[in-house]
Amino acid sequence: MKNSDQINIELESSLPNTGKKIKIAHKATQRQQRLFFGIVSLLFIVSLFLIEIDYQVVVKGLERTPAIISEMTQISFEQFGSLLSGMLSTLVIALLAVIISFIVSFFLSFLVANNTTPNKYVGIFFRYFLMVIRSVPTPIWVLISVASLGFGPMAGIIGLIFPTTSFLVKAFAAQIEEEGNDVIEAIRSVGGTWWHVIFKGLLPVLFTGLISTLGVRFELDVHESVVLGIVGAGGIGYLLQSYIQYYKFADLTLGILIVFITIYALELLINWIRIRSSAR
Amino acid sequence: MMLGGQKMKMLLNIQNLVKQYSDGTKALNDINLQIKEGEFIVIIGPSGAGKSSLLRSINRLIEPTGGTINFSGQSVEKANKKELRFIRSHIGMIFQNYNLIPQLSVLENVLHGRLGYMGSINGIFNRYSEEDKIKAIEWLTKLGLENEIYKRADELSGGQKQRVGVCRALMQEPKLILADEPIASLDPKSSTAVMDAIYHNCKQMGIACLVNLHQVEIAKTYATRIIGIKKGRVVFDGTSEELTDSMIYNIYEGKEEQMYQQTI
Repeated sequence: MKNSDQINIELESSLPNTGKKIKIAHKATQRQQRLFFGIVSLLFIVSLFLIEIDYQVVVKGLERTPAIISEMTQISFEQFGSLLSGMLSTLVIALLAVIISFIVSFFLSFLVANNTTPNKYVGIFFRYFLMVIRSVPTPIWVLISVASLGFGPMAGIIGLIFPTTSFLVKAFAAQIEEEGNDVIEAIRSVGGTWWHVIFKGLLPVLFTGLISTLGVRFELDVHESVVLGIVGAGGIGYLLQSYIQYYKFADLTLGILIVFITIYALELLINWIRIRSSAR
Repeated sequence: MMLGGQKMKMLLNIQNLVKQYSDGTKALNDINLQIKEGEFIVIIGPSGAGKSSLLRSINRLIEPTGGTINFSGQSVEKANKKELRFIRSHIGMIFQNYNLIPQLSVLENVLHGRLGYMGSINGIFNRYSEEDKIKAIEWLTKLGLENEIYKRADELSGGQKQRVGVCRALMQEPKLILADEPIASLDPKSSTAVMDAIYHNCKQMGIACLVNLHQVEIAKTYATRIIGIKKGRVVFDGTSEELTDSMIYNIYEGKEEQMYQQTI
């Protein structure tokens, strides 16, 4: 018992004798977290004042909401045909945009990837060029093409091609850089050309990866193209936007349902394909 | 050294070869090496000594920063794109990680050895000649892979993959084969099969061979000449009899444990 007495005495004597609670947190992390929450709260408060929300409008809107909801619970099949064809053209817009972008980005990605670029500076040029394209939001691209081509699906396709291509090039180039080195060495060492490296070496290795990236992007483009209809790119988005404008909520409900079912089915399908292709 | 009295011609002449990486490390520091036709040379040395940089400089998979390389009368370091392709098509290479295309058939992988002799379009569309296909099947059969010809390359075991790699190199009808740690990822039994395949076929075809190994015992079994590399310099160049224990310890100084890894 002598020993435990000694320990007790030592423990007591080693405690700071100030009566404060013992701190347990990692100081630097704690400071960081406090700083983060401090800045976010400050930004939030400043933003609330900056945006000048008219609270009376909000209250009025809230009063109207039950009426709109009750209108939306009535579903009308009157526009079923045109909604279906709208959805189809939305899908077609996305599909064409993805296919055209794939063809362009397939070649561009080999120019951009560090380990396949024939010229370092060409690679850097395209990399930055595509970064600029990516930093302009998709609706802006569509509005630009609407302005030059007029309303309709063509504007949607052209508008989607820019962001889709730059997305695909970035994704493909990353895959080439990650998985390509052994294959590139193998084909170069036998005296193969740049085209041999790409078609005989890299393409078979990267094929499944490319397909699954394409699937992901197609899904994204369908989402985008629904929204883009609203800014004039044709398809179902255009119909939805006109129903909202003329308060035809019963038609709107059917439209939303069609969009929901299509995208949900699409996601299931693409997941299924991805699992099948990776299982080989 | 026993090429039936044939006069041995110089095949590869490396003078003052330097490779300095952009971070300043010198992987190769003034390497001088002359290789005659049909020689079977094993390069030994601890990891990081520069063995791999040396092999990759010879066919310019990495760009040397100084010195000259002459392959069978042609300057390698000055070669333009077309000349370099021609040089590479006559130098086979075998890799530690096999570097096969996993998704393609074994036969296609072996036929890749002919790409150096084909134009871009013919290569892309698999227009290999029937003679080439027969030749490829013959090599695969000779190396005991006759039942794997139409399998996907990634279905094979490590030892089988490396033998496919050897077939691809032989398919080039090369004058020189560079083998970069060909058995480092293999078990002892497969290692013997792979080393035998490289050795006997090179002998038979009169192909000179440069093999990187870190196992001294295997080096002594096969080599007609051994080169020891340490910190980017040649510190030994002689026959396996001349490679004394004290010399070995000098080469592996500080990394002695690597001599005994995976010996047969």
